[in-house]
Amino acid sequence: MTTTTLQLLKCGLRFDPPTLVITYKDWKANKLRRRSMPLRSFTKHSNISSAIKELTENKRHARFVQLLPEAQLHRLLTIMKDKLCGMSLEVSIARNNDIDTLDPNEDLNKVDPETLTRKKLQMDSTFEKNRKKPGDPDFQYNVEIDFETELGRVETSGWDSGDGSDPEF
Amino acid sequence: MAQVAQPDYDKPDDSGEIRVKVICLGDSAVGKSKLVERFLMDGYKPQQLSTYALTLFNHKTEINGQKVSVDFWDTAGQERFNNMHPSYYHQAHACILVFDTTRKVTYKNLPQWLKELREYRPEIPCLCAANKIDVDTSVTKKTFNFAKKHNMPFYFVSASDGTNVVRLFRDAIKAAMKYKSNPTDIMDEIMQELENFDLDPGNSNGDSSTDKKSKSAIGSPATDDGVVIS
Repeated sequence: MTTTTLQLLKCGLRFDPPTLVITYKDWKANKLRRRSMPLRSFTKHSNISSAIKELTENKRHARFVQLLPEAQLHRLLTIMKDKLCGMSLEVSIARNNDIDTLDPNEDLNKVDPETLTRKKLQMDSTFEKNRKKPGDPDFQYNVEIDFETELGRVETSGWDSGDGSDPEF
Repeated sequence: MAQVAQPDYDKPDDSGEIRVKVICLGDSAVGKSKLVERFLMDGYKPQQLSTYALTLFNHKTEINGQKVSVDFWDTAGQERFNNMHPSYYHQAHACILVFDTTRKVTYKNLPQWLKELREYRPEIPCLCAANKIDVDTSVTKKTFNFAKKHNMPFYFVSASDGTNVVRLFRDAIKAAMKYKSNPTDIMDEIMQELENFDLDPGNSNGDSSTDKKSKSAIGSPATDDGVVIS
């Protein structure tokens, strides 16, 4: 890996012209550096996921873009897009905080694809935290746990009580 | 990803393998893809169906000494009620219905997924999976009546730590094989009849008075394909 000697310290945006800016520590050279990556073709109509794909495939920027968590990249570029659409920074940040918060009652079948991607990225961090994968000392391919049978379970989930959502059956 | 045409699961197998199709249904972000990936680990080859935004994963295994080739179908993030392409349900032999134990709304939407499934596949076996139990294992002490109510096997699973994932999928494959060997959907019966039917060249064009549009009318002597389905 070429990125192992680089450590991301800060990331941010410059609005004019649209630029992604990071500061990082180059441990090999023992220097603090800043890198500006202009978002040249980025407009208020840009698709965030495509823009990220472009950045990560850009030969000059890829090793720096890789330092940023994907969720952070989505957030930064969405703020940039909001700005280009004329939204105030305050409103945009509040909106992006909402997007990055999981609401257990929100129906994700109904959100736009970009929001869904970001909700999934939030869930992925929990997924990775609890994950047992090949190579981990306690990894087993087949994990079978017999939980209490339906009859033996004492608590109710409270999820069955009628709000009329199951009228067909 | 390789682009493929939709396989025909009713075609007789040339390799002695049974071919089954297992589909996953449930809300966005309940972990359907993660479950399939956890079951298959590295042994999967995702393929993108050329015509539709659907992904399928082929898996070859052996169940009770019988070779079986399983295609797991995934929605590729296209899940919206009444918006799943009919080809997703077409010829499916079993269904895994998934909800997220951290999000009540995904549980509340199960009846709608089941209803949509049953419009296409009235009889295929369906298994219910409560995913993400790693987030809060106390959910495994609680009752969820949906599965029992609809007479489905129920599994507490975690795609993250692996709990009961293999059990769920192996049971789904077994259910699919059992269904395929003894299908009860009327369309499957017709398809099986067609497969088994010995074409009699002297008879196949015999009744020209048959309305060419009455393909689905069981009992009419011939269809415009020249195949008797009575």
